[in-house]
Amino acid sequence: MTETSKSHSVKIDEENCIGCVICMKACSTKAIRVKNRKAVINYTRCIDCGECLRVCPHNAVVPILTKTSDLKKFKYKVAIPSPVLHSQFGQHKMPNEILSALKDIGFDYVYDPTVICEMTSLVIEEYLDENNLKEPIISSACPVVVRLIQRLFPGLCNQIIPIEPPREIAAKNLREEISRKDNIPKEDIGIFHITPCAAKMVSINYPASLERSYLDGAISIREIYNSIMMKLKKSEPMSLFQVQSRISGIGLGWAVPGGELRGVSHHFASVAGVYDTIKILKDVEAGKLKNIKYLQCRICPDGCLGGPLTVENRFVAKSNIIMLVRMYHGKKSVNPNTIKNLYKEGFFSFENKVEPKPFPPLDKERSLALKKLKEKEKMIKRLPGIDCGVCGAPDCKTFADDIARGLAKLNDCHFINKKRKRNINHEKKKSHPA
Amino acid sequence: MKKMSDKVIFKERFKIKGGDFINGGDASIRIGDILKEVGIDPDIILRITIAAYEAEMNVVIYAHRGTMDFCITTDKVLIKVEDEGCGIEDIELAMKEGYSTASEEIREMGFGAGMGLPNIKDNADVFHISSQIGKGTELDIHVDLPDKK
Repeated sequence: MTETSKSHSVKIDEENCIGCVICMKACSTKAIRVKNRKAVINYTRCIDCGECLRVCPHNAVVPILTKTSDLKKFKYKVAIPSPVLHSQFGQHKMPNEILSALKDIGFDYVYDPTVICEMTSLVIEEYLDENNLKEPIISSACPVVVRLIQRLFPGLCNQIIPIEPPREIAAKNLREEISRKDNIPKEDIGIFHITPCAAKMVSINYPASLERSYLDGAISIREIYNSIMMKLKKSEPMSLFQVQSRISGIGLGWAVPGGELRGVSHHFASVAGVYDTIKILKDVEAGKLKNIKYLQCRICPDGCLGGPLTVENRFVAKSNIIMLVRMYHGKKSVNPNTIKNLYKEGFFSFENKVEPKPFPPLDKERSLALKKLKEKEKMIKRLPGIDCGVCGAPDCKTFADDIARGLAKLNDCHFINKKRKRNINHEKKKSHPA
Repeated sequence: MKKMSDKVIFKERFKIKGGDFINGGDASIRIGDILKEVGIDPDIILRITIAAYEAEMNVVIYAHRGTMDFCITTDKVLIKVEDEGCGIEDIELAMKEGYSTASEEIREMGFGAGMGLPNIKDNADVFHISSQIGKGTELDIHVDLPDKK
């Protein structure tokens, strides 16, 4: 079962890649090796966190997303922008201006999902009130966190809240509504998420909890940033009123880590960044986290605001979005009873359980795996332990793992090889004294 | 008590320092990592790490020092925790949910809720505990590893 770039969010552009070790070092799941001076992604280990994309200085990591040119395939084009989009154009551009500009670049309809985000907050709180399951219950909003759990923490799959994230709910709702109202066949409607991260594409192509995603694709903020900027520059007062979407302050808060819950009745923790997420999930696995009911993890630093496909500096973006949250704060835009009923009908629920998909063990046979584990431990002691990366693996431990799996040879280690060569020369000198 | 017919395939010993809340739990996390590399069923890993963590933290909270011996045999995971410490006066009482002798400070840190030992028992297939007052406590935890389908 080898996975290819088709099922993932990034690929290496071999022309641009110079085989430096930066992406390999940054990879959170040790999925990258450098072979013959090119980075190679082992897609079985990739969770689509986008760290490689973030750090590559040579533009050699390419995100695989929907191109604006792909929109043509659909007769009726709909955009659902992540709330993060509102943080990208400075403090003075209001959400409806941005939505209008977005529509102008080639969509028939733009829908702001912040109201759905607010509904989802309500639904999550309802779920937390009702269920006394094993705690903490973990947010399903970040597709990479879900994937990380499936891969690295498979025992925690049951703790993921079985509620679809707002982007899917919004798309589900829209397709129905548009086809009913405007009498358009459902298959002619193309619904696209405007996203700060490449992983959404994977969650659309290979959804973890749905039979089929309700979205048809994902377009990166970077891809459309310039076009929106041009429209906003020119924007005349008239176009401001082109889109009048309802904006929810609580919903905008979803862009900020920890923004998924409205109230304070549930003790929650919020974590952002891939390394801290891995760390806290390890604690969850050991049962170390006591008294935390809801855990919100986002794989990017500062959450989606720090997505690798955003443009604005994430600290500025955060300040922008917090301003907006305050501006729209207090206006409750959702009727709790309607939502509760929809929730009871299962409108927000997962269709499928999130299945564990653990990384392949050292060997399928348990006794062989244990043997290889011992070999690996021995190997780690032999290696220099300075994690130089010259061998093409990110660190000595991972290199030892590769050796145990038969994917690398000990002589690939620069230091061991040098020592061996020196010894051979030494032997030669001894036997043939000059 | 232990059947010696089980062949020990992997063994690692961890030292646990009493009062070291900073590193307390590291051994259990390492055990989880090992079990994943070997391909043990995720649900079973979760049971083992939780039991190991509670046992490890008991040493950190109540004892001076201790060791945790982690063994994988052909069909079981064995965890033996031995500590030097005050021991447990009434084991039956200690096994009751909610019973704890932890100080107020410890409880404020979120430990010592009296769920540790019952939690270990719940997650283990076999659980033995013995203690000598003033000397220390010994825990034996077995979790069966069923053959993969």
